[in-house]
Amino acid sequence: MTQMWAPFAGDGQPLILTPDELRARITALFNEMWREDREDEPPALVDETVLLETGFDSMAFAVLVARLDDELGFDPFTMVDEPVYPQTFAEFVAFYAQCAPKPE
Amino acid sequence: MRAQAGVTAPLAQAIAALDLPDDHVLIRSPDREVSAGDVRLIAQMSVMLAGVGVALCIAEPFEMLRALLSLDGRVAALLLLAPDLPAETAQIVMREAGVDRVVTERTDLPSAVTLDSLLTERGEGAPLATQWLLTTSGTTGVPKLVRHERASVFRAVKTPLRPSDADRWAMLYDPSRFAGTQVMAQALLSGACVLTPRSGMTTGETVDRLVEQGCTHISATPSLWRRLLMAPASIRLPLRQITLGGEIADDAILAALRARFPNARVTHIYASTEAGTGFAVRDGKAGFPADWLADGADIDGARLSVRDGMLWLRPPGKARSVAAHIVRDDAGFIRTGDRIMIEGGRARFAGREDTTLNVGGIKVQVEAVEEIVHAHPAVAQCRITAKPSAMMGSLLTLSVVPRAEVDTDPATLRQDIALWCKSRLPPPARPATIRIVQEIPVSIAGKTERATKS
Repeated sequence: MTQMWAPFAGDGQPLILTPDELRARITALFNEMWREDREDEPPALVDETVLLETGFDSMAFAVLVARLDDELGFDPFTMVDEPVYPQTFAEFVAFYAQCAPKPE
Repeated sequence: MRAQAGVTAPLAQAIAALDLPDDHVLIRSPDREVSAGDVRLIAQMSVMLAGVGVALCIAEPFEMLRALLSLDGRVAALLLLAPDLPAETAQIVMREAGVDRVVTERTDLPSAVTLDSLLTERGEGAPLATQWLLTTSGTTGVPKLVRHERASVFRAVKTPLRPSDADRWAMLYDPSRFAGTQVMAQALLSGACVLTPRSGMTTGETVDRLVEQGCTHISATPSLWRRLLMAPASIRLPLRQITLGGEIADDAILAALRARFPNARVTHIYASTEAGTGFAVRDGKAGFPADWLADGADIDGARLSVRDGMLWLRPPGKARSVAAHIVRDDAGFIRTGDRIMIEGGRARFAGREDTTLNVGGIKVQVEAVEEIVHAHPAVAQCRITAKPSAMMGSLLTLSVVPRAEVDTDPATLRQDIALWCKSRLPPPARPATIRIVQEIPVSIAGKTERATKS
């Protein structure tokens, strides 16, 4: 739990994560935000899950993106010139993977 | 097209005068509708409640529109309240407006009456010049009241000579908001059909329904447009007119809409509740041409000027909106509170005055949020800053310096403060992220503070 909120690995550098690790981080933060707000269990996030059908509203998604920025050190939505509107969970994760900092 | 601007007759009478076929549907919800024949019956009712003011606090958009059509011209004043206004606040606003009855589905508001019971109170006389009392969309404190004559609230509404009864407009704004009243009046007075979602429908369900109903016109905030674009079915919306308002429309969202809906015209609206009017920009680019600020330039009947980086606007005709917080100069220009930057022949909106943030179209007063956080027993100092958000325009980031004697670990303290905010603030005013820091960073740019985090 505490680990979830630690924004950086300590040295202020963005984390370098594999796509699977990214996916796990996003899922964990989604679940954590869900439990802050609701009693029921969060829905399972699979590739085909349509984001708008998860029960999260646009405010909740915006907060998820802001918290991921704090945790991962980047916000892909503010990094691209062409706006991106991911519809499924797979598209959302792929977008993060595409914009993630790469190892030197 | 030649068109007549403004609305002087009560809404139902003005719509009845369009002479639409009785079975033409004017308002359609998933399970109910109002036809032109129904509106004619409403217009003919012999009910006149002189001297009576009525508040409307109604969550179902369909019912709200029916109430507005039924009561405009029959009561002295209509007070439009956001359906989620806390009960205590609603009562304060009603007292300030001098209104003692409220039509609502809610059970926590005293002096609630039903629309049908109001409409059985018979009375004779000529239609009344109903005052429309709107409230500003602040999220903290008591909303400010803005008093309009009917002619001023619907000044920008144009009645085309020929009804465009094939148009289908979505009502995605709360009809109690200024923007909602504009969509309603413009659609109905063009003879178009207004499609009202049921309150509580998700964006996905709403889009599915709008596709099914052949929606051709949508007016929404940029935040809501971004959300609509995330609904897979949105690609099938047969849109011809796209309108954005309520927040700054940036180039990214305008370009995305043009790409997704190549057959639709894209217009963004600047409207000021203070001025009770605004103007439309139709070239698909963010901001507006800087020469609109020139002396004597006539912009939809309004005049614009910039002073100290702030937009001032003079509404067409005589100034009619009145409220204590409105600043007006001798020439009739009203201070809008919106900052402007001029660059390369283009005037661009640069946000509200520094103490107000726009979160998804809702104005959040930063000091009011800081005050609430500051009341938390563990907080010594705090600061709200804006964090850019592609979805909501901006979000709130809260930095907190704990009191020296507090030894709670940062993660627990963050959660505790988050709960504190959740129980005291509506969602847009709650900080999206909370940082526990040793001192408040000097910079107010949210993104640059990372280095100082503890």
